[in-house]
Amino acid sequence: MASPLLAFHKEILEKIHDPSTSELLLLARGLGLRHVVCTLMKIYDSPQNLVLLVNATPEEEAAVGEELGIMGCRKPGLRTIGYEMGKRDRQDLYKKGGLFSVTSRILVVDMLQSDIPTELITGILILHAERVTALALEAFIVRLYREKNSTGFLKAFSDQPECITSGLSPLRNIMKELHLRTVHIYPRFHETVKATLENRKADVIELYQHMTESMQTIHHAIVQCMTMTLSELKRSHVTLELDDLTIENAYFKSFDAVVRRQLDPVWHKVGPRTKQLVSDLSTLRRLLTYLLTYDAFSFHEYLETLIACNTTSFSGEKRLNQSPWMLTDAANIIFQTAKRRCYTLSKKSADSLENVIIDDQDGWDALDDIEGSRGQPIDKPKKAWMPEGLDPVAEEFPKWELLADVLQEVEEEILRHESLPNIRGSNTVLVMTSSSRASALVSEFLANMDLDAPKGKRGRKMMERKLRQYLFWKSRLTNQSRGGKVPARTVVKKHDATPIAASKSMDGPANRSLALRKKEEMKQARGANRRRVRGGAPSTTSKPPASANSENMTINDDGEEIEAFVATQNSSSLNDILVGDSDFGLLERIISGQFQDDFDTRYGLLASEETVVVRAYSDDSDDRVLAELQPKFIVMFEPSLEFVRRVEVYKNSHPGLGVRVYFMIYQLSCEEHKYLAALRREKDSFERLIKERATMLVPVFEDQRPKAGDQFIQTISTRLAGGRKELTAQPSQVIVDMREFRSTLPSLLHASGLQVIPATLTVGDYILTPEICVERKSIPDLVSSFNSGRLYTQCELMSVHYKQPILLIEFEENKAFSLEPIAETTKSYAKPTAKTASKKDTGPSETDRIPSLQSKIVLLTLHFPRVRIIWSSSPYATADIFNDLKANNPEPDPSRAIAIGAEEDPDVDAGVNTAAEDLLRCLPGISAKNVKYVMSKVNSVREFCEMTREEIQGILGVEPGGRCWEFMHGIGSMRS
Amino acid sequence: MATKTKPPVVQPGAGNNIIINSNQRLNPVLEHIRHVGKEFGDIVPDYHVGRTTCILFLSLKYHRLHPEYIHTRIAKLGKSYNLRILLIMCDVTEHQELIRELTKAITTSIRTHRVCLINSLTIVVAWSNEEAGQYIATFKQFEHKPPDLIKERADKDYDSIFRTALTSINKVNRTDVATLRTSLGTFADIAKASSDRLQNLPGFGQVKVKRIKEAFEKPFHNKT
Repeated sequence: MASPLLAFHKEILEKIHDPSTSELLLLARGLGLRHVVCTLMKIYDSPQNLVLLVNATPEEEAAVGEELGIMGCRKPGLRTIGYEMGKRDRQDLYKKGGLFSVTSRILVVDMLQSDIPTELITGILILHAERVTALALEAFIVRLYREKNSTGFLKAFSDQPECITSGLSPLRNIMKELHLRTVHIYPRFHETVKATLENRKADVIELYQHMTESMQTIHHAIVQCMTMTLSELKRSHVTLELDDLTIENAYFKSFDAVVRRQLDPVWHKVGPRTKQLVSDLSTLRRLLTYLLTYDAFSFHEYLETLIACNTTSFSGEKRLNQSPWMLTDAANIIFQTAKRRCYTLSKKSADSLENVIIDDQDGWDALDDIEGSRGQPIDKPKKAWMPEGLDPVAEEFPKWELLADVLQEVEEEILRHESLPNIRGSNTVLVMTSSSRASALVSEFLANMDLDAPKGKRGRKMMERKLRQYLFWKSRLTNQSRGGKVPARTVVKKHDATPIAASKSMDGPANRSLALRKKEEMKQARGANRRRVRGGAPSTTSKPPASANSENMTINDDGEEIEAFVATQNSSSLNDILVGDSDFGLLERIISGQFQDDFDTRYGLLASEETVVVRAYSDDSDDRVLAELQPKFIVMFEPSLEFVRRVEVYKNSHPGLGVRVYFMIYQLSCEEHKYLAALRREKDSFERLIKERATMLVPVFEDQRPKAGDQFIQTISTRLAGGRKELTAQPSQVIVDMREFRSTLPSLLHASGLQVIPATLTVGDYILTPEICVERKSIPDLVSSFNSGRLYTQCELMSVHYKQPILLIEFEENKAFSLEPIAETTKSYAKPTAKTASKKDTGPSETDRIPSLQSKIVLLTLHFPRVRIIWSSSPYATADIFNDLKANNPEPDPSRAIAIGAEEDPDVDAGVNTAAEDLLRCLPGISAKNVKYVMSKVNSVREFCEMTREEIQGILGVEPGGRCWEFMHGIGSMRS
Repeated sequence: MATKTKPPVVQPGAGNNIIINSNQRLNPVLEHIRHVGKEFGDIVPDYHVGRTTCILFLSLKYHRLHPEYIHTRIAKLGKSYNLRILLIMCDVTEHQELIRELTKAITTSIRTHRVCLINSLTIVVAWSNEEAGQYIATFKQFEHKPPDLIKERADKDYDSIFRTALTSINKVNRTDVATLRTSLGTFADIAKASSDRLQNLPGFGQVKVKRIKEAFEKPFHNKT
């Protein structure tokens, strides 16, 4: 059943449904934007219409399609057009009309190649309008659309007002790019919205939980580290505008953008130290969130990984720049406390550790002697897998406790309600968490909860399993970091340690009914959720040299002990962890094992009141969940601004439903602060947008492209052979490789008046004239393709096939027009640059120093004297230069350009999974020459990994194939 | 100054030195040309950095004042040298137009243009004296260097191949590589790990897991 429309939904739809108008709708998050979009699409659904949905993520496409189906818009409903679909199929589909969701890149190409009848498009719906900039593909689409079609509608939607704040007149820019003149803004404080939602309010119970002492300590220490890093950053860069750089802002991801925006124009002058600080900040911020969502062991594990992997630089040397925060006392507190949350080493074992620290032969021997004299270990009433002297602490989140209490209360409430007649809604309890990881953790806790245990120990069973996993992991880490020299001897420290009380078996019968409730929801909870992760922030924190940091020492030492222990236990009790040589999903196996057993007998008997659904916050699909489950009890495990609104909407669209919300928040934590700040920020940005709308100069759109006649007049000039030059009616053409449509340049080329012809090119990215072929490289591209040797091959090919090969080095708009200074890579003047020194003395013997980008450019020009280089400060400048180069030159021939170099590649027309190709290329034994061959033989990297040595050798040849296979299976690594 | 143009005289013994046109005597770049021998000589270009390679130096500041200068220099150069570099010192903020115009005039051999007859020049842009000096020195140093440095290389140690391979996936950083290795093991193990398993690793979110899965499991080609 489709959920009903609320009053403000109706108002919005009335305003925007007219297919003859085009407008932008800004709606506050959580108010059901998807519902509005879907309703609108349903109105337009008809075979006579061709309506396109643009800029939707794959998840959104699926969800919108589903929702449309629920609304009764099936057969054919929304069809998704992705890269898997052939050109012919697409043409046919477009002709039949209906609703389509198209990837922007495909739509652009289709429009350029006239595969889609642009003039017949009824309308386009653009999601995520906040991301549209002059350089975005969507702007290109709108331009192409409006060129041929002035009657169709264009509706743009956005629910992220925070993103429309940068720049002078952000709203106007977006509207200009989308060729829109009307905007509707519906914040939460809009009159209609307010009136609708405050009709019926949900019963909200706010629970302010204190963090545990050690969590507080860590939290405090992390904040301290952040403050320190921030002030360090300010000091190292005086030009930074200090107003925005507060610790409060640093809690948000957008802070990175603020810093980068200020630093980008001078990024090349920024020292590695400052860069380090910037990335440190994001690492620390991540730690803050992990502190509240990861269990004690995972958190500690993450910290250890941070430390361990940063000992070395990318090339395997010792790092020169250390993260300053790692050297502070506060960092020490973080590491120590995090460890103490997991386990402590009892006094005696710590003593014996002192002896073990010396990792040399004598030490081990001496230890062996001691052990020999001590004899066999004494059996103690503790878990067999737990190393001696290890005191598990396994601190649990206080919120778990709280959750258990809340569920208890809910249960009682449900019982009480049972007597009352006519209560709507199901008795399912919905628990919402911030991430799918957190929700997995919560459901694991619930599944293993022991209600009889004392407070703070209820998840003991689960935590012990985590400890076990951790120990196993730890042994591997240590193993790796020590270069795999596993001491062959078995080292177990034995002494008459007192029985460890804390580890008493807690295997008391778990509360069956409680435990069962959740299991069935586990699978659903996992995977179905989206978690937005601020990705890709290179975590380049470094670690001080081992000798400088005693903390590091102790960590490694623990590791050694544990590892040694695991080595001894390998054959016996630990076997169940090591099943199948991988600890893959221990948790899952255990749960699913139980699940399997219980499923048949219990599943059918479970009443709805016995279910607890644990989910992570997602996007608008949460609305769907609420509508389907109709829960009366909702636990918000972590605060979320949007979800509060979703509940409001849910409550109001289901009159007569008593909804109670438990809202949990850690007091005085970044969580609380973030929630409040997010509220404030959204309100501010809406106010700013409303203000801008009030004073906006509404853009007027004319046909911006010069008419064909103008070009005639411009080109007829007496300077060109006395005006005698032959004029062709067709506009200037550029042939552009399909893959280049990911970049912004094709759009700008089109805007500058060139005709863009998409084609699949084997050689070069842009063909300007029959003679000029251009390979475009952004700076990161340039670096990586120098490293992989790709650029060399590309230049080789270009030189063979074209008279005038050109390498275009394109810098980014608003970023520094400069390469990284040479000093970056060859900094240490104390040691004369190895490259130059060795050159002088011993000729070509190159040492291990990384050559600078500049010297690679030099080498390239020396070997390809015909390759010219264009240095372009931005895509705009590139467009200008291309126009210059094309002047007075003949037009390129697309069919010839496609044919060049294409003979050896049979799959030219197929879409290529570039990520997989890049990954494959990195493997030993695979070169640019055979990569295409491998790709034609094997389906995916995974398949490749699963092949036998002989099969791989059959493809690659004996020697490289063997090398490749050995690499993939870890032979030749230091661990073997 | 070279009054009459004659082909550069390369003394057999002096092959290891950069020959510098005496008009460059006051150029601050000179002191940054390190690790190679320098000598002044009577040559047409500004720097003679190899048997077939020469460099013309142009500061954009100067170019703005004397836009004709570089064209006369190029004209004098005639057809000599196989690789001719125009080393541009980008020392103005309004560089876009200047570089564009130079690129247009110099990069291609447009028949009508008087300066570029047969050969054209390759532009290299430097942003500081240091960088420019480094360029000039490197051209000399690399005169006979084989292109191995920029060709595909194999034979690195296991760890770095492992790291490079996995970081080639978008959004995967070095911390993640360490996590993957410690908790999953070999490359092949990572390839067959399930999404749920990956999701449970510290530091791995949905986006990252999706990227990894796409790289490992999505087919190379869509066969349609």
